[in-house]
Amino acid sequence: MTTLVRLEILRTLRNKRYLMFTVLYPALLYVFFISAYGSGGTVDGGVSVKSYFMVSMATFGAVGAVLTGSAQRISLERKSGWTRQLRLTALPGRAYTLGKIAACAVTTLPAILVVFAIGAIEGVDLTAAQWLGLAAALWLGSFVFAALGVALGYAAEPDAVQPVVMIVYMLMALFGGTWFPVSDSLKGYARFNPVYDYNQLASFVHGQGVATAAIAVLAAFLALFTAAAAVLYRKDARRA
Amino acid sequence: MATGTGEVAAFRNVSKSYGRVKAVNGLDLVLRPGETVALLGPNGAGKSSSLDLLLGLREPDGGTVELFGGTPRAAITAGRVGAMLQSGGLMSDVKVREIVELACKVHPRGHRVDEVLTTAGITEIADRRVDKLSGGQEQRVRFALAVAGRNDLIVLDEPTTGMDVTVRRQFWDAMRAQADAGRTVLFATHYLEEADSIADRVLVLHKGRLIADGTSAEIKARAGARRIGFELHPADGAPADEAVLRALPGTVGLDVSTRADGVRTVRIRSADADAGVAALYAAGLYPRGLEVTSLGLEQAFLTITGEQDLAEQADRTEEEEASVR
Repeated sequence: MTTLVRLEILRTLRNKRYLMFTVLYPALLYVFFISAYGSGGTVDGGVSVKSYFMVSMATFGAVGAVLTGSAQRISLERKSGWTRQLRLTALPGRAYTLGKIAACAVTTLPAILVVFAIGAIEGVDLTAAQWLGLAAALWLGSFVFAALGVALGYAAEPDAVQPVVMIVYMLMALFGGTWFPVSDSLKGYARFNPVYDYNQLASFVHGQGVATAAIAVLAAFLALFTAAAAVLYRKDARRA
Repeated sequence: MATGTGEVAAFRNVSKSYGRVKAVNGLDLVLRPGETVALLGPNGAGKSSSLDLLLGLREPDGGTVELFGGTPRAAITAGRVGAMLQSGGLMSDVKVREIVELACKVHPRGHRVDEVLTTAGITEIADRRVDKLSGGQEQRVRFALAVAGRNDLIVLDEPTTGMDVTVRRQFWDAMRAQADAGRTVLFATHYLEEADSIADRVLVLHKGRLIADGTSAEIKARAGARRIGFELHPADGAPADEAVLRALPGTVGLDVSTRADGVRTVRIRSADADAGVAALYAAGLYPRGLEVTSLGLEQAFLTITGEQDLAEQADRTEEEEASVR
């Protein structure tokens, strides 16, 4: 099983599209947002523009990496018959999904760290413990979206998976504070948007304390997406 | 576990439907160790469905499927079965060597990677990306995945599709080596000459049913192994009626067409052409342009499936007539 997991990670890192969209693109957007909003400014709650968008672009990249890495690949590999081929090996059925999630877990790190590096250069000032804590929080949070990606990969047909993933991804980003802070009037709804909660994980470096409510909602989403993924996986295995 | 005796695979009254289509219809079949078995059938005959059931990729609606006396999944987990599917996709963004290595490592009785690359004839392309291969090369990589370990049974679904003639020959040499090593080989194919030259047992599947099971010689004999063709001219006298022709020894099928000038063209499918021709002269007939040709497995196959269709049509017509009454 480790061979499969290693191969999944390797092939994802080799894929040029992955690097473009999940590492370079958020990094460029980050630089763009800083200049558009004014690098010295603050957004709501007194959080600096640099710090706010560092977090939102890191989560943007991480969610993108995870959704395309799992949903798109699973859907395509169901169509190509690779999942059937794997079922003819001694590997247990869960190995495939675990491999995808492991690959996601590894590939979110560059997306997060590259934006962090730019943030540090631009002058985001955090203690070592905060940097580490923030990276860990965003990395762990990405598992929620990995589970969502697996569920979408088993739910969506190969021809439909790309638009479905893009729509889900963009809507969550749009109302989750990725490109602009969520206005007070929308915050009541945003609480149920996993990307909003994901961004809220950074609140402890913005002097707003640990976002316990966001953690609770994310945990609930993780449970929901995992259950959905498991049900859809079993349905797919029966259809083969 | 004994591999020398008993049943490799057994279908017992197996049925599988998709919606209203009966893909597999009451299939009974036993594979024995060391056999090389060809599975023939037109498109939609249920070949792939049967293989899916055999490998446990699908569950039968009725009946049981056993591999080595247990479930298909148990046989796969024990590393006793290797398979190459028609629709077996490959991983993208990996090299040939990496995907073969994966197959060798996950196999409970896996071979060394280099050995498998050699067997499948893909050593030269080992460092190529899997997504950059031609159709024939891809097929060989799939074959490598099927022989990555010491399997007792190898299942191949139309393995030579997309291969050119030379590669196909190499492929079958590799396949024969597997059979010579005592493995049971089951392959579905469109190419009847493959079944003819490689298999020691041929199964003909039609509309989800097994309609013939024997050596390729037996199947040909059943269909009438040879064709006797000739003309009967009115000038030669003795205008034999068709009953005489039909009564010739070995006659399986008869087709007579009459031209305007009274010349009749006769085609007889015969299981015993020598006796048939001798009896022709003995009956006082003077066949002109006599030809005796051998039927290939292909024609035998068409004949058998065609007969089956006719029989079914007749059944249906009777049923319809009965319902009208």
